[in-house]
Amino acid sequence: MAQITFHDVSKLYEGSYPAVHNLNLDIRDGEFMVLVGPSGCGKSTALRMVAGLEEITSGELRINGVRSNDLSPRDRDIAMVFQSYALYPHLTVAENIAFGLRVRGFEREEVTRKVKQTAELLELTEYLDRKPAKLSGGQRQRVAMGRALVRSPNAFLMDEPLSNLDARLRGQMRSEISKLQRMTAVTTIYVTHDQVEAMTMGERVAVMNKGTLQQLDTPRALYDRPKNLFVASFIGTPPVNFLRGVLISAEGGPAVRMGSFTLGLGGRFGGLGPRDGQQVIAGIRPEAFRIADGAVPGLNVAAAFVEDLGATLLLHLDSPEAEVVPASVVEDDVDLEAVRPRLRAVVDGSLKITSGDRLVLTVDPAAIHLFDASTGDAL
Amino acid sequence: MNAAATQLIARRVLLVAITVVFLLPVAWLISTAYKPSSQIFSIPPRLGFTPTLEQFRSVFSYFHVWSLLKSSLIISGGSVILSLLLGVPAGYSLARSRSRLASLCAYFFLAIRMVPAVAALIPFYMVMRDIGLLGTWWAVIIINTMLNCAFVTWMMFSYFRSLPPELEEAAMTDGCTQMGAFLKVAVPSARSGMIASALFCIMFSWNDFLYPMFLTRLDTKPLSVALLTAYGTKDITWGTLGALAHFSTVPIVLMALFLNRYFVQGATNGVQ
Repeated sequence: MAQITFHDVSKLYEGSYPAVHNLNLDIRDGEFMVLVGPSGCGKSTALRMVAGLEEITSGELRINGVRSNDLSPRDRDIAMVFQSYALYPHLTVAENIAFGLRVRGFEREEVTRKVKQTAELLELTEYLDRKPAKLSGGQRQRVAMGRALVRSPNAFLMDEPLSNLDARLRGQMRSEISKLQRMTAVTTIYVTHDQVEAMTMGERVAVMNKGTLQQLDTPRALYDRPKNLFVASFIGTPPVNFLRGVLISAEGGPAVRMGSFTLGLGGRFGGLGPRDGQQVIAGIRPEAFRIADGAVPGLNVAAAFVEDLGATLLLHLDSPEAEVVPASVVEDDVDLEAVRPRLRAVVDGSLKITSGDRLVLTVDPAAIHLFDASTGDAL
Repeated sequence: MNAAATQLIARRVLLVAITVVFLLPVAWLISTAYKPSSQIFSIPPRLGFTPTLEQFRSVFSYFHVWSLLKSSLIISGGSVILSLLLGVPAGYSLARSRSRLASLCAYFFLAIRMVPAVAALIPFYMVMRDIGLLGTWWAVIIINTMLNCAFVTWMMFSYFRSLPPELEEAAMTDGCTQMGAFLKVAVPSARSGMIASALFCIMFSWNDFLYPMFLTRLDTKPLSVALLTAYGTKDITWGTLGALAHFSTVPIVLMALFLNRYFVQGATNGVQ
């Protein structure tokens, strides 16, 4: 078991921006910590620094309170699961699992016993004599897990371990890994770009972007109280809608005016004071929209197209009244700003809505996230 | 008959023709060894002849065949072992180097292999003479190693480049040192590349004529050089030459047949 602490850790590659910039992170003993962010955000680099596979440019990495910047990977007693699984192609499944134990000089009987135990746990017993090339993707993934589990290491490091699996298997392995982690209570750092994995697996989630830690919190808090535009846009599917607005004092108290649509904020800010007239970006989750019936004032929109997901409908909406701001997330190297920004709303699947329909949307004021338009930080 | 079938037949005929062109000298070589001397050059060439082992009898009476074979084996074996010992780690370090010069360096090694053999001969001859290795197996082993090792380095560089570095990283987190990861994971994973490069080296050394011709003595000369002895001052004993050629050809051909798939891998996987 281990406690892992990053203290102002940075990683610089020659001639480029910092891969990791002044990272401060405290991973508690036995915790399941997820590092999440788009590709190139520094999450894998941070993980590799814990493993000792990447040098630390500045700052301090402590494992169980001991400065470990210069420890070799083998002296850290940490097990890593790679995205490509990195199974030794010339060894059988049993030999792959036993490798770490053999290298560390365990007795032959103990190796055999532990390999057998681990294989049973991961349902790999019948494949022990096979070479990795003769296994399916899911089986390879389990062998990689077995290789990590068998040693009972200080910590598990997992670098996108599920991204090579198909969606169904991924869902299944997600819960299996969570279960194994709870069972063994070994400190785990799990790196992923998939926010669904982050939300469902992590006790706490560290959201990273461009080498910098954006927010460290429980999944629920990340969803409910994102600290800035990036976190708000990265967490949640379909992603949050951003509308440009301005804070005003209306008759019923403070309100946010988005184009010609004004929404009261209830009692959230008391009196606005110096904030009166401040430019903001309002974040509204697609599932926070309600379709207004009758003459309630709301946001007038037109359905551009409708995706029927069965239980729900995902509506893509054009709004002539409010300015939609594109999310600033660049995912898989596709800049989403290039796509025409539309509002997205998730509504009950039983509603009869087709493209071209005109609708009026309302929002519970408590479900609106407000961000400073210039800094992007939450108000 | 449709177009596809015509094309297939045309392709087969062409393949057979090419095979015949390549195999004709081999057939001639083999048949020479089993013909009585008087029939070797009969015009027109006769397909029907009474096979005889007369040529092999004279080979064994004129040549120390086993000693020639031993020399060939020692020279090619020694050179292959040294080339792999030096070239595999060299190729690995170049492949894992983060320097931009690594690729350039690897191609420089390949360029060494391109140097005309004759160009290196005279200086090397003088060096070997001065250090007293002239006439020994070592002289040929060393110069063959120089050329083979350059080739192995380049070939293994390509092989290790295609091997994901995560394998060694996994080994290191599993408890290996960097050297341990190289020996226990990288080397066994590149086994087919090593076999392929070894095969190329053996072929080169086994068939090498120029260096052993000038660098060995009577008691250290290999088969390739002995073949020349069949050229007498007055005549050429073609039958003896054919029989002796069996010993220099058969081992290589057998090896190529059995390890055929590594040749293919060597020519495809390694070169990227």
